[in-house]
Amino acid sequence: MMKRLTVDELNLDAQPGAFAGTLMNSSADLVTRACQGDSEAFRLIFERYSRPVISFIFDMVNDRALAEELTQETFVRAYRALGTMRAETKLSTWLFGIARNVARESLRARARAGSHVDLADKSVMDLSDNKPVPVDGLLSKELNALVRRALAALDEDKRLVFTLKVFHQCSYEEIAGITGFSLAKLKTDLHRARAEMRKKISPYAGVGYEV
Amino acid sequence: MKCEVCQGLLEEYLDGELPAEDQEQISAHLITCAECSAGFAALTAEQEMFSRYDRELEVPPFLWTRIAQHTVAAKNSMNLGWRARLAQLLTRPAVAIVLIASAVAVVYWKTNPTLPRNGTDPNQAGVKLTTSPNPQDQKTATTDHRSEQPGNSNQAWVGSVPPRGSVGSPVPNADTTQNKPELLASTPRRKHKIKPATTIDQSDVLSSDLGYFDIDDRDTAKHIEQSQLLLRSIRNVAVTDGDEEIDVSYDKALSQRLLNENVVLRRDAEMKAKFPTKSLLADLEPFLIDIANLPDHARAEDVRAIKDRVQKTEIVAALMGYQDRGPNNR
Repeated sequence: MMKRLTVDELNLDAQPGAFAGTLMNSSADLVTRACQGDSEAFRLIFERYSRPVISFIFDMVNDRALAEELTQETFVRAYRALGTMRAETKLSTWLFGIARNVARESLRARARAGSHVDLADKSVMDLSDNKPVPVDGLLSKELNALVRRALAALDEDKRLVFTLKVFHQCSYEEIAGITGFSLAKLKTDLHRARAEMRKKISPYAGVGYEV
Repeated sequence: MKCEVCQGLLEEYLDGELPAEDQEQISAHLITCAECSAGFAALTAEQEMFSRYDRELEVPPFLWTRIAQHTVAAKNSMNLGWRARLAQLLTRPAVAIVLIASAVAVVYWKTNPTLPRNGTDPNQAGVKLTTSPNPQDQKTATTDHRSEQPGNSNQAWVGSVPPRGSVGSPVPNADTTQNKPELLASTPRRKHKIKPATTIDQSDVLSSDLGYFDIDDRDTAKHIEQSQLLLRSIRNVAVTDGDEEIDVSYDKALSQRLLNENVVLRRDAEMKAKFPTKSLLADLEPFLIDIANLPDHARAEDVRAIKDRVQKTEIVAALMGYQDRGPNNR
């Protein structure tokens, strides 16, 4: 078996990069060490996965402060349940699964509380006209606002599969593992989500292919 | 293959989810069919556009502190001895304030001329105070208004440049007096430079976050830094003769993400006429593609081939050279 050099061997710890330690430990090693009470291992897990997790949650709830709060909840739950994680499960899939549950609970709670969950934040986009603009001509802020608004308009299941596939490059198998959806459902949802996103974005971005 | 069949499978083809046989058939069809090929190009363009989506979201530095308090710190505190507990107690803001107040009281007592000093001149007997020559020094530290938790004290900025997206982010615990104007008001105008109780942990500060005021430069620097670390990781893989498979699942996933970023940043650099940056990103791209295309458990010889190429081309040195150059020389 391959032996990866440790951080000490490479002297990477002398560098200020926060990623120095993260590349040299396999996820399985980190989980094992974290289960044994190694707090540094859990910190490395956080460093490695916090960005994708917070991005994923933000895509689901479209609220920056809430995304931070729910990311915290995700990692706290993950820490408490580390011992129950099955060996064959990928850490990223497992974490996204927890994040998905946390985000969903939050959305449900807000819906039950009667507050209107305005996922389509009106303030994020106010393009002055409806003329198609070549995609390269879109300023990044406009593109961000456009995508964010279109994403928020998707229903929860479609937003979930679209985010996992398009933004996080998860395989269908991983998405099925995270969401619990059947392969057929996730394919259908993904196809529809892409079509809806295309419909909303193509008038501005010039992406006009109909599948 | 008929066009209808091909178009029905294009998304799965793009996602790399088709069986090898279908994949080959579609590849062959796309070469000969202009309409399907255009459809696939549009899908690819769409995918690329989504890869440019930037949530402008950063992981706030205080998040780990909060999580640690509920996880590892909580667990550790149950196992601490009395010395460790005392040390932990001393890092808490409330305790620090009490200690500072005590120190101020001692200084006041020692410098008060009305109090006898065992025969010494009261004007010379006081504690020598260190005065900051620059009043701005006192303003560089502000505590995180969003999080006033004790463990937060280990986060820091370097200099006066905060990490990206962390306006109002945490800073050192030591000068908790900065947050207590009423306490300062009651003290003499001389500013007491208080030695920090703990060493400032700067491990969360990326070198690439310093000195980049242009967002693109900062993104590129961060991207280069991550790519450099990835390639170093591959370069330093120890492949022994007995190895058949190597688990590169994490490196692969990271490479896929970096590849998406690389395409976008390379185009941006080209549009902004930053040709050295564009050239470097173009050199980097084949490595990212190769790593991204490895299976999760790659054959040792494939990994070795990439490793050898990384060593021969000295791409890591080139990436490090970029990091060493200033933002104006790119």
